[in-house]
Amino acid sequence: MLFFSFFKTLVDQEVTVELKNDMEIKGVLKSVDQYLNLKLDNISCTNDVKYPHLNSVKNLFIRGSTVRYIHLNPNSVDCTLLQDASRRGPWFKPPSKGCPLAHTKLQCIIDRLNI
Amino acid sequence: MADVQPQQKQEEPLDLIRYQLDETVLVKLRGAREMKGKLQGYDSHCNMVLSDATEYIYAENQDKPQGKSTDMVFIRGDSVILISPVAE
Amino acid sequence: MSEVSSNSSIKTDPSTFLSGIIGSKVSVKLNNGVSYVGNLQSIDGFMNIVMDTTAEFIGGAASGTKYGDVFIRGNNVLYISKV
Repeated sequence: MLFFSFFKTLVDQEVTVELKNDMEIKGVLKSVDQYLNLKLDNISCTNDVKYPHLNSVKNLFIRGSTVRYIHLNPNSVDCTLLQDASRRGPWFKPPSKGCPLAHTKLQCIIDRLNI
Repeated sequence: MADVQPQQKQEEPLDLIRYQLDETVLVKLRGAREMKGKLQGYDSHCNMVLSDATEYIYAENQDKPQGKSTDMVFIRGDSVILISPVAE
Repeated sequence: MSEVSSNSSIKTDPSTFLSGIIGSKVSVKLNNGVSYVGNLQSIDGFMNIVMDTTAEFIGGAASGTKYGDVFIRGNNVLYISKV
């Protein structure tokens, strides 16, 4: 659930998704679900010479399992928070108490999911 | 109850990845790829985020892998084969 | 050294075997044919494995790659054997 929460904080940011079939699709992240399926808007293929299939497509749903990498803008990632959230694992077990220290959006989403 | 384990709780493999947070790791991936970068986050599926990462792709016909660098990248866990700390 | 794994006449179930070989030198073969030989530090129910002083073997020959510590994702594991 950690990365589901993480990607929810990146909605409306531009990302580049590299698929396992080597296609690279740049677009604005519009939506994400628990399987890390993605919806992208305003897409373009960064290697469209090799893969011209999507020239006329604006908007895309990507099944999470086909993703290899997602390249992100480093300025939109809070590394300290992500490290702390990872250290707190396991992520599937709910913690015993609430979230007195929630400051930020990601923190709040994580804590809400853990209730 | 008679034989209590002398050691404290056994560390699980994923606990040992935790020690690599904020350190440089080498991740071996499916498709003859490797990614080296600073570990910023991970979960139990081995989904990961690396910063200042370089991807190395090994091709049949050349000895030296081609390198591609990226500032911040999410790696989907199902491609991961192994994770190892990099001595620096 | 370890009583559990040396006595082969006693039936051991897989999880007893696995907890018994922690700390021993093991060989781990992956689905892609590559194998790793090193000291088993830790293992869990997904067969995620941590080993130290690990050497990589490709097609039976040492590839020359050595890892101080290495985490192997369980889904890639074909077998683990004590060496």
